[in-house]
Amino acid sequence: MTHPDRLWRNPCLKWSYDVVIVGGGGHGLATAYYLAREHGITNVAVLEKGWLAGGNMARNTTIIRSNYLMDESAAIYEHAMKLWEGLSDELDYDILFSQRGVLNLAHTLGDVREGVRRVNANRLNGVDAEWLTPDQVKEFCPIVDISPDVRYPVLGATLQPRGGIAKHDHVAWAYARAADRLGVDLVQGCEVTGFVRSGGRVVGVDTNRGPIRAGAVALASAGHSSVLASLAGLRLPIQSHPLQAMVSELLEPVHPCVVMSNHVHVYVSQAHKGELVLGAGIDPFNSYAQRGSVHVVEHQLAAALELFPVFGHAHVLRTWAGIVDTSPDASPIVGPTPVPGLYVNCGWGTGGFKATPASGWVYAHTIAHGEPHALNRPFGLDRFTTGALVDEHGAAAVAH
Amino acid sequence: MTDDLMRSPLAGVTFTAPFVRELPFLAMVNLRVGTFPHPLPGPNRVGTLDGRDVLWLGPDEWLVVGPPGDAPAIETLLHQALGDTHGSVVDVSANRTTLAVSGPHARDTLAKGCPLDLHPSVFGPGHCAQTLLARAQVVLRQVDADPTYHVLVRGSFAPYLAEWLADATREFW
Amino acid sequence: MLLIRCPWCGPRNEVEFSYGGAADVVYPPDPDALSDAEWGEYVFVRDNPRGPFAERWVHTAGCRRWFRAVRNTVTHEFREES
Ligand SMILES: Cc1cc2nc3c(=O)[nH]c(=O)nc-3n(C[C@H](O)[C@H](O)[C@H](O)COP(=O)(O)OP(=O)(O)OC[C@H]3O[C@@H](n4cnc5c(N)ncnc54)[C@H](O)[C@@H]3O)c2cc1C
Ligand SMILES: [Zn+2]
Repeated sequence: MTHPDRLWRNPCLKWSYDVVIVGGGGHGLATAYYLAREHGITNVAVLEKGWLAGGNMARNTTIIRSNYLMDESAAIYEHAMKLWEGLSDELDYDILFSQRGVLNLAHTLGDVREGVRRVNANRLNGVDAEWLTPDQVKEFCPIVDISPDVRYPVLGATLQPRGGIAKHDHVAWAYARAADRLGVDLVQGCEVTGFVRSGGRVVGVDTNRGPIRAGAVALASAGHSSVLASLAGLRLPIQSHPLQAMVSELLEPVHPCVVMSNHVHVYVSQAHKGELVLGAGIDPFNSYAQRGSVHVVEHQLAAALELFPVFGHAHVLRTWAGIVDTSPDASPIVGPTPVPGLYVNCGWGTGGFKATPASGWVYAHTIAHGEPHALNRPFGLDRFTTGALVDEHGAAAVAH
Repeated sequence: MTDDLMRSPLAGVTFTAPFVRELPFLAMVNLRVGTFPHPLPGPNRVGTLDGRDVLWLGPDEWLVVGPPGDAPAIETLLHQALGDTHGSVVDVSANRTTLAVSGPHARDTLAKGCPLDLHPSVFGPGHCAQTLLARAQVVLRQVDADPTYHVLVRGSFAPYLAEWLADATREFW
Repeated sequence: MLLIRCPWCGPRNEVEFSYGGAADVVYPPDPDALSDAEWGEYVFVRDNPRGPFAERWVHTAGCRRWFRAVRNTVTHEFREES
């Protein structure tokens, strides 16, 4: 494919839209695309305070899988997986989706039980899942150390063969181009600073470029969701944390799949260009700084060396952080809010990249119909009142 | 007064570096009290009480350290000093063992795994702190200006820490 | 890396501490009197400001005391008077 010179227009900001989406990350862009494509709503603006997809979309480690434990999660993440599988074709742009398989290692009896249970739960939900013995792990990923005499020996692993990685920038650009072509305005350097209210209703946003009217306002602002919601008088059950990741220098192909270990606490894949991509858990404190502490990185490296002694020869090229929006049950919040005219899509925390297509798809449906799709109905704000949580802490621990 | 059944968690460990050694079985008695009739050391400092060392652990907590076998005598001493005052005196000698690291390489060795600023202008003889050494919780004190440090570490972490020290000291001798 | 001032031990490296989230969250005096929404709010919803944040830390590897501190969530600076 010869790459086009420009993927999207630099549009003139209009004073009014049917839908204004706040945040031009993956979820905002996908939402705009599906609003236009599935629901014929094209008078849409995506307002991004920085540059397009410069937040977590630019910073994530691109692991894609749908092997979540709970039925509600399996349904929405598997919907995403199916969309991923057709996405390069649908968007006519190669997103480098590589279904190389995702391993979740088990190191303790508890891990083994949880893993086997999850494999069974996944299968019941139509999600591909296998349980591997240590030898099969070695066969699938020869560089994992499966020797029994380490502190946390590999006792087995779950494998989702259809899991893998994609190229995050390409995903953002592909959605941006497709949305732009359908008439969506993608506006960079436009920060939402407040909401225009009429009666109780949100009827627009205030921005650094002036007020903009909107039939509906849809937050897709990840780590900044609480800040925006509070401007509308809404408190969300969200805490923002730094999440760090790092890459090595470019290496020859050495690591064929994605390996995650909740127990030793690291995950590693090798990107298309050749860098090893590593990450683990959040820094514990709340932060909006896109910066974490070095001991967290040290811990990830120690864990990586424990699993992959061969990495002792690699060098860390770069570390960075994003701001992730964590929820009490490690599940997202996607739906209407108590404020009429205002919708929220947040709480994807450390693992929302994999959901990008489904998140945009169900969110677009929700905005178009004024009520959630069956796939995101369980992920409403109301669950924190009813108590019907979708607790994914187990399947989401290292969680990407 | 140590009897045959006592066994240090580091029994059988040989310390490769000549400037690391174990001081097993030191008596350690934990004291928690609001007001105490005798002066006790303030934050991050070591004082003395009737010939024993007293290490500050927290706003109402101290560790009284004496020679092996001294715990009953320390307990009696503290109980008598407390009188009717409310407080807690617990023999925790079996909780930790002690590693002595001394000489010109001691500071550099510990600095490899300890987040404290050990520069003599900040942490000198008579200072103590509860902190981490190579991720293990320890009580660290500087005994003299050689410098000599004492590392008080829980029994279950002691073999690990001894191995870590063997590695950390390797470049120095 | 944060340098955190324990009110008892003084400034220490972040690795010695554990995080306790928002400070000043008061247990409802009469939980039975709360509606489901109010109870859900108490259990699940915490402030998440961009800027000064009153929070709890515990000096896990030191004196093991909990304390309150005000830290800016953008600059990571602790406010002195906290
Ligand atoms: C280091 C790291 C690794 C990760 N690894 C994975 C992984 O392997 N797999 C996975 O599935 N997920 C992963 N994630 C999570 C994933 O990146 C996020 O869940 C997902 O990107 C969030 O959706 P988004 O792309 O829309 O967010 P973002 O890209 O953060 O988009 C939100 C946008 O809102 C904008 N914004 C904020 N406030 C305003 C305002 N007032 N006005 C206008 N715009 C505003 C921001 O500038 C930002 O561009 C990772 C995250 C990080 C940080
Ligand atoms: Zn302290």
